[in-house]
Amino acid sequence: MTDVVGGQAPALGGASSARHGGTGRATLRRPAAPLLLLLPSLVLLPLLAILPFLAHGGGLDLLGQFAWAAVTPSLDPLVLRSALAGLATTVGMALLGWVASLALGLLLGLASSRTLWRTAFGRLWPAHLIRRLLAIPRAIHELLWGLLLLQLVGLQPVVAVVAIAIPFGALVARVVADLLDGLDTGRLDALRLAGAPAPAALLTALGPPLLPGLLSYGGYRLECALRSATLLGVFGLGGLGTDLKLTLQSLEFHELWTGLWLLLAVMLALETGLGRLRRRWVMPRRLGLDQPRVGVRGREMVLGLASLVPLTFGVGWGLGVDPRALLAWQPLQGGGGSGWLDGERLLALPWPALIGGTLTLTLLAAALAVGLPPLQLLVSAPWPPARWLVRLSWALARLWPPPLTALLLLLLLQPGVVTAALALGLHNAGILGRLLAEALADGSAANEQALASTGVGPRLALLYGRYPAIARPYLAYGAYRADVLLRETVVVGLVGATGLGSQLLESLSSFAWDQLLALVAVYALLTLVGEELSDRLRRRLLQKA
Amino acid sequence: MAPAPLLELRRLSVAGRGGVPRLDGVNLVIEPGERVALLGPSGAGKSTLLSVANGLLAPSSGQVLWQGEPPSHNRRARRRQQARIGTLWQNLRLIEELSVQQNLNAGRLAAWGWPRALLNLLLPLDTSANAAMLARVDLAPQLLGQPVAALSGGQRQRVAIARLLRQDPTLLLADEPLASLDPRLAASLLALLLAEASPPRALLLSLHRPDLLAGFDRVIGLRAGRVEIDATATSFQGAEGVARLQELYRGEGPTPAGQAGSANDGERGEPARPVGAGSLGGAQDP
Repeated sequence: MTDVVGGQAPALGGASSARHGGTGRATLRRPAAPLLLLLPSLVLLPLLAILPFLAHGGGLDLLGQFAWAAVTPSLDPLVLRSALAGLATTVGMALLGWVASLALGLLLGLASSRTLWRTAFGRLWPAHLIRRLLAIPRAIHELLWGLLLLQLVGLQPVVAVVAIAIPFGALVARVVADLLDGLDTGRLDALRLAGAPAPAALLTALGPPLLPGLLSYGGYRLECALRSATLLGVFGLGGLGTDLKLTLQSLEFHELWTGLWLLLAVMLALETGLGRLRRRWVMPRRLGLDQPRVGVRGREMVLGLASLVPLTFGVGWGLGVDPRALLAWQPLQGGGGSGWLDGERLLALPWPALIGGTLTLTLLAAALAVGLPPLQLLVSAPWPPARWLVRLSWALARLWPPPLTALLLLLLLQPGVVTAALALGLHNAGILGRLLAEALADGSAANEQALASTGVGPRLALLYGRYPAIARPYLAYGAYRADVLLRETVVVGLVGATGLGSQLLESLSSFAWDQLLALVAVYALLTLVGEELSDRLRRRLLQKA
Repeated sequence: MAPAPLLELRRLSVAGRGGVPRLDGVNLVIEPGERVALLGPSGAGKSTLLSVANGLLAPSSGQVLWQGEPPSHNRRARRRQQARIGTLWQNLRLIEELSVQQNLNAGRLAAWGWPRALLNLLLPLDTSANAAMLARVDLAPQLLGQPVAALSGGQRQRVAIARLLRQDPTLLLADEPLASLDPRLAASLLALLLAEASPPRALLLSLHRPDLLAGFDRVIGLRAGRVEIDATATSFQGAEGVARLQELYRGEGPTPAGQAGSANDGERGEPARPVGAGSLGGAQDP
């Protein structure tokens, strides 16, 4: 059998023997996949070290009351009715915003597809142009759109819907265009060569392979829309979010938990339902790049999508959403005396500190969000009840809007970047945790079992048996999440001193429109750069090592 | 006093779907130094038996004894028991993303604590021990730094055996390790495993094809979850032995060898090979 080895030996000679050749000296290597997965959790060390200095002593008993209220939510019919009404509004806004964003995203996605422009019109530049332009609405968080629209047209139900639809639509457009342009064009070329007209050829060749990815991503956007609608409520755009914030500020924890548990029920039902549909219609997983074909459930899908139309109109009518309200602009409130544009006022802002704060916040929160779930799973591996508790904590974390976590943390900690990073990081850890659990459930347990059968403990069996395979796709998703986090830093701006977000909310409340616009522009610019960086990191991680 | 048997199964049953048991009243004793071939048609319960033997599967009734002791209820003690049992899986179950050295060290995980387990992901640990282990399976030490995903099929088989040896178990289990291998490779890997299974170790190896019995001490024939044959390997020499094996595989194909190893076209249609037959000569080569 030496022939097997012999054939390989020359190829191995150089690199590997230089590193490991008989010396036995321990040389530091690039950390292996499972360790890579745990690396981000190292951020916990400085965070935990700094926490005692941030605590201001008070508020512990309040936090105790908050925890106790979790098991004793208010069951007062009045409270229940108000929470249910708020929930209905939030769900309705999410649904409308989602449908609008899908319609918008599909149209814009087609309009920015290189394949489509090349096939139909024989030129590429309009696709590139639209793609570039779409980056701008995408770079601005839905909260900013909401707050800007709120200033322009006043408090209308339609504001939340449009605020969700604009950035989500641009996001969906990008995904649609990427999916379309990522498809193999062989079939399309074959149809075109056979003389099929462009629209028919496009629909036939690209429609079916596009569908699974689209439906899976679309379903995921509905979950995001529900989270966003809740968040917008926290900032006064109506629905359950508003109730949650008011009850938290007035320390009515029992009523707060009534709303939270209801929201949790809806969120879990939605996630479970969408997951079932995804599996039923043979959807690809969001983690990873594989794309199985869509099944034979076409009729079900068409029926499901068609039923969205009457549902949308019904909900729109029920919520009193009136698109015409968007046209009735209010006069903007005063420019602070010194006119609209004031160069000095703009330059007076501490830009480096603002940008630095935002970036620190993003990195801290991203490391926490990516690092926490694998560590939690590892620690809780031997005890099934603990695993269950971890899952529950993730579900609560992702439905609980980050600004509310921030407000809650302010009971214990001083305002600042670390407090904001904790709030944002914990929320996103809930989202990433669910993805990690999904990826683990989809993966093979063979290696983990093999290790367990040789007497390896459950934690090490998980680390060696499961983590290697999911490390790269998970971290790649984490890179994408970091980019989302940069956009999201604005939502925890209200805990103060957290960079651009805090300044933005401050400028907004003092009607400094020039500052506001400049801040939004800088935010958008940062996000665009961040998007590019996270894209590169993602591609590198998904490359075969 | 003779040492306790490495593995003892007493009236062991494992329930299956639809009321058909996967194992049905199996009695089996494996003493140190024994090399036992586990034969049977597919679905006979060979994999189930091995899963019970390595503790992955709990039996519905009956008893498993490891070195005379039942599986401990204490988690740590049970893990110590399981650390003495090594399994070679049909699909190898190597960790693709890690290097050969890290995979070999994964065989030591049960004995290692957290610090070493984590360090193994960062540094090449125990290089000389791992190189020696590779040499035992005829692989060059230069392979240690390679990712497992870069290895050829034969190299992977050998790395899996090296990991098993690195664990240093006393009971070696192997679940059809030779299926879908070409005859030459199968014979040389079998020789390797048989050579390692000297006292105080023992080997229980499941085989789908009854033509590689050279070097085994005992043959267990399993059919529909029951032990139908439990005899010395030498008793399968000659026509009578072939007939007994054909009886074990009845209803599966014309001859035992006829349905054996679909990847093995060259041997298709030849009669079952009793011990010592021609092409097995390679198995005795070092």
